[in-house]
Amino acid sequence: MNFVQGYARNIWSGFLTPYRSVFSHWSLYRILVKRDIVNRTSGTMLGKLWPVVQPGLQMLGYWFLFDIVFAMRANRGPGYLEYLLTGMLPWLCIAEILGRSTNMFREFSSLYRRNPFPLEILPLLVMTIPCVVYGAVYFVLNFFLGGAERALMSLMVLPMFMLWLLPLAMILPVLGLFIKDFTQAIPFLLMITMFLTPILYFPSMLPDGVRQIIWINPFSDLMAVVHGVLQGMEFSLINLVRPFLIWLLLMGPAWLVFKRSIPHIREVL
Amino acid sequence: MPEPAIVLNDVSKYYKFYEREFDRVREIFSGKSHFKKIEALKPVSLEVGKGEVLGIIGQNGAGKSTLLKVLANTILPSSGNFSINGRVAALLELGASFHPEMTGHENVYLSCAIQGLKQQEIDEVYQEIVSFAEIGDFIHRPVKTYSSGMFVRLAFSIATHIDPEILIIDEALSVGDGAFSRKSFDRIMDFKNAGKTILFCSHSMYQVEVLCDRVVWLENGSIRKSGEPVDVITEYSELMRISAPKEESLERASVEEKDNFQHQVEDANIKSLPRILDIQVSVDGKVSKVHKLVTGESDLEITVLFDPGEGVPMASVAVGISGGDGRLITSAGTVNEGITLLANEKGQGVARIIFPKLSLLRGNYFLDVALLCERGIHLYETVRQVAEFNVQQSGLERGIVLLPHEWLD
Repeated sequence: MNFVQGYARNIWSGFLTPYRSVFSHWSLYRILVKRDIVNRTSGTMLGKLWPVVQPGLQMLGYWFLFDIVFAMRANRGPGYLEYLLTGMLPWLCIAEILGRSTNMFREFSSLYRRNPFPLEILPLLVMTIPCVVYGAVYFVLNFFLGGAERALMSLMVLPMFMLWLLPLAMILPVLGLFIKDFTQAIPFLLMITMFLTPILYFPSMLPDGVRQIIWINPFSDLMAVVHGVLQGMEFSLINLVRPFLIWLLLMGPAWLVFKRSIPHIREVL
Repeated sequence: MPEPAIVLNDVSKYYKFYEREFDRVREIFSGKSHFKKIEALKPVSLEVGKGEVLGIIGQNGAGKSTLLKVLANTILPSSGNFSINGRVAALLELGASFHPEMTGHENVYLSCAIQGLKQQEIDEVYQEIVSFAEIGDFIHRPVKTYSSGMFVRLAFSIATHIDPEILIIDEALSVGDGAFSRKSFDRIMDFKNAGKTILFCSHSMYQVEVLCDRVVWLENGSIRKSGEPVDVITEYSELMRISAPKEESLERASVEEKDNFQHQVEDANIKSLPRILDIQVSVDGKVSKVHKLVTGESDLEITVLFDPGEGVPMASVAVGISGGDGRLITSAGTVNEGITLLANEKGQGVARIIFPKLSLLRGNYFLDVALLCERGIHLYETVRQVAEFNVQQSGLERGIVLLPHEWLD
């Protein structure tokens, strides 16, 4: 019973502490978000347009490759291009969050090395900008694809990912800081995960034997929910329950690892 | 009884050494330790009262910096607990949180926010920070375009304008150069005068003794002695002299050396800083740079002529005589002896001192002169080895100095 209580307590505080800390350090958080935008755009000719232009260009690239070059077509349901764009943009956001989380402690070391800096706001910070930037592009995209109602529904997608990714955004920075090989491997891992997630293809395109494998990957469930909500494709309760259980499983240990790593993080760099 | 500003209960700090970096990861994930301890601070209990100026002394590696970092909340203690009653400003590594791509304006907001100030509080102090830092329109440019002087001025200004109740100072009582150096020193003195709590860690025993109400001597991570500055410093200095005579001798009675002293004047109130114009050293009326003296017979007279500057109180002067090995033999200062210097008819400051019947024994000695602030703490200028004395003696006495004495029946 004690173990379960402790586990539940860790899940609860792991989930709430970053948000509480952001609330109590709101001025700092706002400035850091602004700093993040400065980082991305300083010295560029397009300046603050880049955060929006970049995902737009990536989408254009995927459209050109899969719709024009490969001429991929759906057997039934929504068109392939619509399907691709609906899944790909959230994935780009996820990939950026996970990739950046891995390097998070190095990137922000100047802030916490000699200052009483609240480290627990960092996982949310690295997720905020991608969610805001990709969220804006996603909103516009969905407006053109399905009108105002779909665009409004799309506003929930990236915050949902932001909640779900929180445990990963706590564990990956620790791994990335202390195991340098992990930082090198993360682009490959992200690529494999993308291939194992039905983003570039419909699940129905896979042979029967292989189709079951992709459901090991929780991102497949989440994508099924996204396509279901925005495109009316089929999804079931299990697509929600499975990621939620994985989240419950990860959140407690992730917070414990994050907490334990704090003294190391302040001293190791 | 007023609440203390700082209370430490058995606070210790050890750093962890891992043979393989993977052991660290294993520890984080499993909770099982796989490290060797490197003890920086053994359990320390300490209470610092509100308004107290506490000096922290000790050799390198004694745990001073670790203690300050713990109190500044930049590292976590390994055991024990501490409480701090009030906002802390630490002058440890100024500008460490600055982002080079962001403007000075944005960095002011960033640094203040890290120190816990809310938006409105930052808005209120912003103008004061900018005007104190004296960087003009540069405030709207990225800090990567700042000179090192501008960078440190802005960082110091931020650190001291967040209205701290507790100020942590590691070594330097002033930052920047020229007029700003004096201005930053005044700012720190304002904190002392305003009854703020100050932790001052320094190797300059002179400054610690002048400034502090109490001194804590750290040795190998523990408090070896705590008490009145004069008692602690005397014992510490004696130990340093025995264990490392040459190292100790480098510390002069005046203050630390400043090699690149520049007369940059940027403060509106300080129009020009005091500076030494001329130093005359005469023995028995004869002016020279190298003198021959006879023990107990020669009179040594030193005249220091200086520009007193504008917008600053009349400076003070200190002289020191050192042996050939660099060890300070004796010193004299106008502040210490309650002498107020006056300007001559040309408006120049003048300090004259005579050592009658100089009782140094055989050997070579050197004279150093320092021009200091009215408190005798902040150094404007120092001139080393102004003159050399070659002392001869008629008798067979040994040592450095011949003390007045009388053989009794």
